[in-house]
Amino acid sequence: MATSSSSLPANTPEATPIPKSYAKGIGTTPDPWERCAQLDYGGDRSFAWSVRQQVLRTPPAGRAKVERQLLATLATPDATPAGRAFLCQMLALVGSAQSVPALARLLLDPTATESARYALEAIPGPAADAALREALTALSADAKAGLIGSIAARRDPAARPALVALAAAATEPAIVRDAAARALAHLPPL
Amino acid sequence: MPALSTALTRRQFLRRSSVATAALAAPTILPAHLFGQSAPSKKITVGVIGAGNIATGHLDTLLGFADSVRILAICDVDRERRESATARVNRTSGRNDCRAHADFRELNRRPDIDAVYICTPHHWHALIGIDAMRHGKDIYIEKPMTLTIAEGRALVTAAHRYARVVQHGTWQRSMKRFHDLVAFVRTGGLGKLDRIECPIGPNNRHVGATWEPEPVPAGLDWDMWLGPSPWRPYHSHGCHYNFRFIADHASGQITNLGAHCLDIGQWALDMDHSGPVEIEGHGDFPSSGLFTTATEIDVTFRYANGMSMRCFTQHEGGGNNSARFIGERGWLDIGYAKMSASDPNLLREMQTAGKRLALTASQNHYEDFFDAVRTRRRTIADAEVAHRTTTVCNLGTIAMTLGRKLRWDPVKETFTDDDMANRLCRRALRSPWSVA
Repeated sequence: MATSSSSLPANTPEATPIPKSYAKGIGTTPDPWERCAQLDYGGDRSFAWSVRQQVLRTPPAGRAKVERQLLATLATPDATPAGRAFLCQMLALVGSAQSVPALARLLLDPTATESARYALEAIPGPAADAALREALTALSADAKAGLIGSIAARRDPAARPALVALAAAATEPAIVRDAAARALAHLPPL
Repeated sequence: MPALSTALTRRQFLRRSSVATAALAAPTILPAHLFGQSAPSKKITVGVIGAGNIATGHLDTLLGFADSVRILAICDVDRERRESATARVNRTSGRNDCRAHADFRELNRRPDIDAVYICTPHHWHALIGIDAMRHGKDIYIEKPMTLTIAEGRALVTAAHRYARVVQHGTWQRSMKRFHDLVAFVRTGGLGKLDRIECPIGPNNRHVGATWEPEPVPAGLDWDMWLGPSPWRPYHSHGCHYNFRFIADHASGQITNLGAHCLDIGQWALDMDHSGPVEIEGHGDFPSSGLFTTATEIDVTFRYANGMSMRCFTQHEGGGNNSARFIGERGWLDIGYAKMSASDPNLLREMQTAGKRLALTASQNHYEDFFDAVRTRRRTIADAEVAHRTTTVCNLGTIAMTLGRKLRWDPVKETFTDDDMANRLCRRALRSPWSVA
């Protein structure tokens, strides 16, 4: 039998008011899209899981919007390293040229460079290629070797001159020179 | 159901296979370079990279090949494991010539080593394998060959480029029963084949929804253990053995167990240079906690010839790595420990089917590898075969992750209509690592 407030008997008591002490703990349900910026290693990751499922199930037509949501969360000033790592993992799945500027900035941040590079390596198009190439003069040692690996994976022919120079640069550590030499074998000619 | 039960554990099978086997094939004229330094009588020198659970089984067997193999190196990032394994080899051989290495690059660059056994967590397989081949080593690489489809193709390319021998750890290919099964199925022994089923066991490790980072144990190089996978803090439940259940390092039971039976399915379907064209499935993935791979799986692979192969979690009666072939004349369920059939006559027919088809055979997975190292021929489970089998497993993981039907082009090795699925075919590696 359907009921509504207008159909309740006249002598129905008023609803018991919520005690103030209890009301303090009641708030809005945390938005998982905001919470995943504060992801911690080892903590509850179920809210990140729900964001992940939404990302995976979003059809192509909806991915630009999802990408903007991820970028907005990534811009959270107090995002944790684990949070940024997760958000960059998601951007690796749906990211486009829209994400490149934000990721290019993170690529130069030593606390986020790896996560940013994981996303950039997966994003197709010349903007991501350019961001990776430009970082060659900013990163060093192990991070630079990893960057070269991403460039090799993307087979960016425009990186050839820079890699030729790095392979021969006596000022670069062996790990960078070796990475550059191996990467050159994977690049198509200019 | 009628069953012929040969209750062999995997280790018993490997030990029995190490005893003298059937006579070699008819004499072959050997190239001159196989004499002298490279003579067949020269022992093959081996290094083992990764000294954990699987390596222990390999050492059990390799030490039994004292007449043809010398183990000269053990590498592990865990000091206790590498020192213990090295001491064991030296104690057993009595020669004290096996050295311990903390870094696989050192081992791979030793000119006195012919071949390496790669027994590390899966996220290291491609990188170590390619590095080894680049430095002149043949490789025995544990299954799954690689963590991603892209890494698999890179490893196959490297094997061709450096002209190296590769043997994949899908040792069931060297068991007579599976050779007979494949010959029987391919020559119509079951009549028209309807489908293949591959039940696999469930996860055998479980953890809670949260975890606290722990101090890295003394002697474990955690940074090197992680290698190319994304950084995270150490926890004892996220390292030895359990890496199988963490997606940054492995793909769960579909590769841990499924690789064996899916490999037999690929072989029987004559798909060793191809694969399915459609994949659909479901996986239950943990929403929190350290483990991230599916705990329950059910995925079906469909091939262009209309055949289907299903891999699914079976809680009771698993552990046989069996493949069940169902056709017009009945069914055969063949695993490494047990065999059963809808009719005992089918089983008897299958066991004499080996001669029906000129199918490359191997009686012993180790000897097949050693002979290939000497003669430079292909192994029974070479790089391309290994890559195609591993790809089936990885396709299943991608389909379960996305929860939608996917279409795969086995020639181009891309999904035909799913950009996200294509992105999941590869992963960026943590600095400074690269498979280039």
